[in-house]
Amino acid sequence: MINLLMRYVNLLVLTVSVLVIFSFSLAYLFPGDTLTNISGIVPETDAQRAALEEAFKLNSSIFAQFWHYLENLVSGNWGVSFTSQVGLFEQISIAFPASMELTIYALLVSIVVGIPLGFIGGIWHHKPFDFGVVSFSIVSYSFPVFWLALIFITIFSLQLGLLPLSGRVNLLYDVPHSSGFILWDIWQSDIPNKYDAFIDAIRHLILPTASIALVTTAIFIRFTRRAIMDEMEKGYIDAAKSRGFTTKQIFFKHGLRNALVPILPLMAMQVSTLITNAMVVETIFSWPGIGNWLIQAIYQRDYPAIRIGMLVVSVFVVTLTITIEFISRAIDPARDKFERATI
Amino acid sequence: MPQFNLYQEEFHPSPLMHVWLEFKRSHFALIGFAVLLLFCAIAILAPLLAPYDPNIQNTNTILLPPAWEGNGSIAHLFGTDALGRDVFSRTLYGCRVTFGSSVFLVLISVFCGVALGTFAGMSKGVKSSILNHLLDSLMAIPTLLIAIIIVAILGTGLWNSMWAIVLALIPQFVHQTRNFVREEMKKDYILLDKLDGTSSPRIFWSSILPSMFELLVVQGTMALSVAIIDISALGFLNLGAQNPVVELGASLSQSLEVAYSAPWLIALPGFCIFLMVLSINIVGEGLRSALRNRLVH
Repeated sequence: MINLLMRYVNLLVLTVSVLVIFSFSLAYLFPGDTLTNISGIVPETDAQRAALEEAFKLNSSIFAQFWHYLENLVSGNWGVSFTSQVGLFEQISIAFPASMELTIYALLVSIVVGIPLGFIGGIWHHKPFDFGVVSFSIVSYSFPVFWLALIFITIFSLQLGLLPLSGRVNLLYDVPHSSGFILWDIWQSDIPNKYDAFIDAIRHLILPTASIALVTTAIFIRFTRRAIMDEMEKGYIDAAKSRGFTTKQIFFKHGLRNALVPILPLMAMQVSTLITNAMVVETIFSWPGIGNWLIQAIYQRDYPAIRIGMLVVSVFVVTLTITIEFISRAIDPARDKFERATI
Repeated sequence: MPQFNLYQEEFHPSPLMHVWLEFKRSHFALIGFAVLLLFCAIAILAPLLAPYDPNIQNTNTILLPPAWEGNGSIAHLFGTDALGRDVFSRTLYGCRVTFGSSVFLVLISVFCGVALGTFAGMSKGVKSSILNHLLDSLMAIPTLLIAIIIVAILGTGLWNSMWAIVLALIPQFVHQTRNFVREEMKKDYILLDKLDGTSSPRIFWSSILPSMFELLVVQGTMALSVAIIDISALGFLNLGAQNPVVELGASLSQSLEVAYSAPWLIALPGFCIFLMVLSINIVGEGLRSALRNRLVH
């Protein structure tokens, strides 16, 4: 166990340091002045330039610079945005929870819809209902997520006028920012029409969540279906049948549990896909999340923001993956190695 | 004693033939295959099929609806866009760019991935272990995210986005190849080769690669659908193909401004991407189940 933990910590440190070194070298790789790329400030006078170079230790050796960069990263002193001159740490701490909120709700929807459908498909495989489930999953897996979001907007916002087009909550409601999760913030706040604001926020959430969740639901259906099919073919199920258990007993006592263990970590791994899709959908729904922010930064050639945004998102995804991998191996020692999905 | 044999011509289908026989039992897979072939034909023959130049702006006919609507014209089958460009020609050329470049970049990443994966799978020790685990955890970063980051560094453009997606697709092939090579290297027929004194490149070339081919095709179809979605998503975000290159995702985002008055400009390119990805996924699914059933029978 300690051995396993050490191996994963080692892997995590190695990967994160590769990412940090990469992001540090981006300051040199990006076009333009290295000083501006690393600090986000365009020096106007020579004195200011010298002061900035001193502050970021640009005159020292590359290792001293990197060490200083690391210190800044850890202390949350991430420099300022090139275009808005606002601190990057503050911007990301607003944008990141917004994306996470969208991702978490989409994950919940996918689990609630995908797993039961996959179960039914897996039990009655090669029956008409299973055929429908599989077709649904293939079709929805093939949707380009941005097109799906546009279709939803066209149907539900423009044609039917049922749901709002963009944003997180109506501007009428002045929700104070505390955690960054809009529903939680509204719940915690003491604004007068809290209930209306809550409903409004949910109405804003429906379309983005649905367009992200559809693809992931398709993946979950296939994971679950395949896992159940494989599990129900195993020898111990036959043994249980021969002992006279009913199919229901076998399924709920053995098949379900054993099939769930390997696929739960696989599903958690899908968070990274969800985040990517959320980043694309955010730009369509003007959702103030990390994806929207990062893509705006790319349009504006805001190199400090791109550097930090890339680092934050990739470190988050890698940490999440390695942690899930570790947990899944710790609770299920029988598996020799982390398995990739089969669908 | 000579045995009586009623059937003179004995027929033993090759493994590939087995796959095809299994594959064509599913009608949906066949339809998907036909659609895929259609897109291949469009990608190759787009200049011959397209009635107009996709970038010629005809200001006399702006925002003409498709021919099946009341005031459409048969001269412009899918109508025209906000600059009077023929949408049918643009869709054909867009399919050509999106589909063609995706096929191209999947082939490149298969090649690089197999080369690296073979190296990683056949070598031993700390070096290969570091390479493997690092690649594994970097693979967790989704392709589109890597592509966005790489485009942010290299700058926008179709070629840059293609490189980005190639780089993002390579790790999964490395992973698959490495695992497969690892498994095969343990088997007896490889040991036999080794005892015969075969060199490592030859073992790979004549023993491992033929049995890996099917795996690569299946993985390749999955990668192709990811590549199409990613390249059009980058185009949609204005990070990929820029004007005058006609790309489906890019033309979709250009028609966003007139989305309310001309919804077909959003529907048609998006539907093309959808159909492309759907046919690839159906073919991939058919191939997977054909391979699985072939092993069962």
